[in-house]
Amino acid sequence: MTARRRDTLAGYALLAPSLVGVGGFLLLPVAIVLGISLFRWDLVSPAHWTGLDNYHSILTDPAFGRSLAVTAFFVLLVIPVQTALGLTAAVLLDQRLPGSTVFRAILVLPWISAPLALGVVWRWLLDPSDGAVNQLLGHRVEWLTSPVLALPSVAAVTVWTNVGYVALFFLAGLAGIPPQYAEAARIDGAGPWQRFRAITLPLLRPTMFFVLVTGVISSFQVFDTVYAMTQGGPAGRTEVVAYAIYREAFVDFRMGRAAAMSVLLFLLLITVTIAQQSYFRRRTTYEMG
Amino acid sequence: MRILRRAVLTYLALGLGAIVILAPYLMSVQTSVKTPRQFAQQPPLAPPDPVTGANYAKLLVGGHTLIPPLVITVQVVLVVVLGQLTCSVLAAYAFARLDFPGRDALFWVYLATLMVPAVAVLVPRFVLLSEAGLVNTFWGIVLPATFGSPYAIFLLRQFFRAVPQELLDAARIDGAGHLRVLRHVLLPLSRPILATLLIITVVTHWNDFLWPLVVTSGARWQVLTVAVAGLQSQYHGNWTLVLAATTLATLPLLVLFVIFQKHIVRSITISGMR
Repeated sequence: MTARRRDTLAGYALLAPSLVGVGGFLLLPVAIVLGISLFRWDLVSPAHWTGLDNYHSILTDPAFGRSLAVTAFFVLLVIPVQTALGLTAAVLLDQRLPGSTVFRAILVLPWISAPLALGVVWRWLLDPSDGAVNQLLGHRVEWLTSPVLALPSVAAVTVWTNVGYVALFFLAGLAGIPPQYAEAARIDGAGPWQRFRAITLPLLRPTMFFVLVTGVISSFQVFDTVYAMTQGGPAGRTEVVAYAIYREAFVDFRMGRAAAMSVLLFLLLITVTIAQQSYFRRRTTYEMG
Repeated sequence: MRILRRAVLTYLALGLGAIVILAPYLMSVQTSVKTPRQFAQQPPLAPPDPVTGANYAKLLVGGHTLIPPLVITVQVVLVVVLGQLTCSVLAAYAFARLDFPGRDALFWVYLATLMVPAVAVLVPRFVLLSEAGLVNTFWGIVLPATFGSPYAIFLLRQFFRAVPQELLDAARIDGAGHLRVLRHVLLPLSRPILATLLIITVVTHWNDFLWPLVVTSGARWQVLTVAVAGLQSQYHGNWTLVLAATTLATLPLLVLFVIFQKHIVRSITISGMR
């Protein structure tokens, strides 16, 4: 047997287990979800071919439209705030004052806790009569049951969970910027804010890209926090797409409609990622030339 | 003077942030050692008086014991970590160090699957496992994550490729096969990235909720997160008990975090490097 034949055999033997994982639990499911989305099926009785009816039905269903709007609004609330706060925290930690590592560890704490458990804790904190937040404020606010406040409350808890994690990435990005640049600008008379805007921020672009892409993708899929805090209520005001898919499939057993929603979510996320990528690529070549 | 003022302001801002992050944890612990009676009669922030361990006792030995979910969660995490790291290491070695037809095309397919959102494959994965008769079984919970993750394979491949070829050649000349080269040369050099992946996998699967929620039903195969969610809906308003449960579910990773804090913080940033 030639060396190349041996390498080929060894290569595929080593890849075999992961091929089961990638093929069986990622690629095959993508094919299956496309298939199921063309049927009406409740898991029990035989599936019934309906063509594109599921897509037509969810796209004309106001509940699904609201669900998309809720998700988009959620992402728009979470991403700017968590990015700004994460960057601020990173800049503060980057001054490396004594004790910074302790603060850094505290900020990351929510990342290692289950989002489900944190959601339960915050549901109690925000409880109108038994919760600590209203006692601190001294008056009753319906954080999770008011149609206006419910989604911002869930978004705030998500930001609270993610800030430390986001800050860590910015901190790593800041550490990669050579101090000479800021020093040169300082000698030229640039103030701290000017240095931050003209030097730090452009050089943080790769980090910013990573933080935004991963942040958008994960907040588009938020589930645990919503499940623990509001179960999609009041009146669907916090029913994000992931929750809608879950309810459609595993509460109402409409697998076809749930599959069609999954396909649309998938397409939406791919579009968002590509859009973000091309935006950053254009901006990067234009400004950094 | 200006430097001093800046330091004071920085400490103030960081201190405020730390309080906002820590307060929910501290308040849950405080409430979890109150009696339901005190909780009902006094404001939520009143200190516990008397301190009681009754809620924890109920969750450890009483009717709502969290011990079986804890044992199952530990088993799930062990199987997933072992399976995922082993399979990912093998695949990463093949991609990084072997030359065979189809390698690059396959690697691109693996990378492309990073784009597949977990929520979007929830329904088909459930259908697959239900066809295989694995719904509401231990294997139903762990199988989708056990055969390696494209993300781990990608990170490991980058790391393996950076190892100088001479090191591997030396071992090959001494007659070592691929698995021995992997075990005795590459893996000892890859401790940092392996530790990183270990931490991320443990945290992800200890905290996982949606998949176990969907693939199991009833008490038999409940993991901790699902058990806590069940307690909350069953004992709605019985916050002293529920908050003892969230504290218990969070505690094991919290202890690990305090011990391995520096390493965990470093791991998160390594995992995001491009």
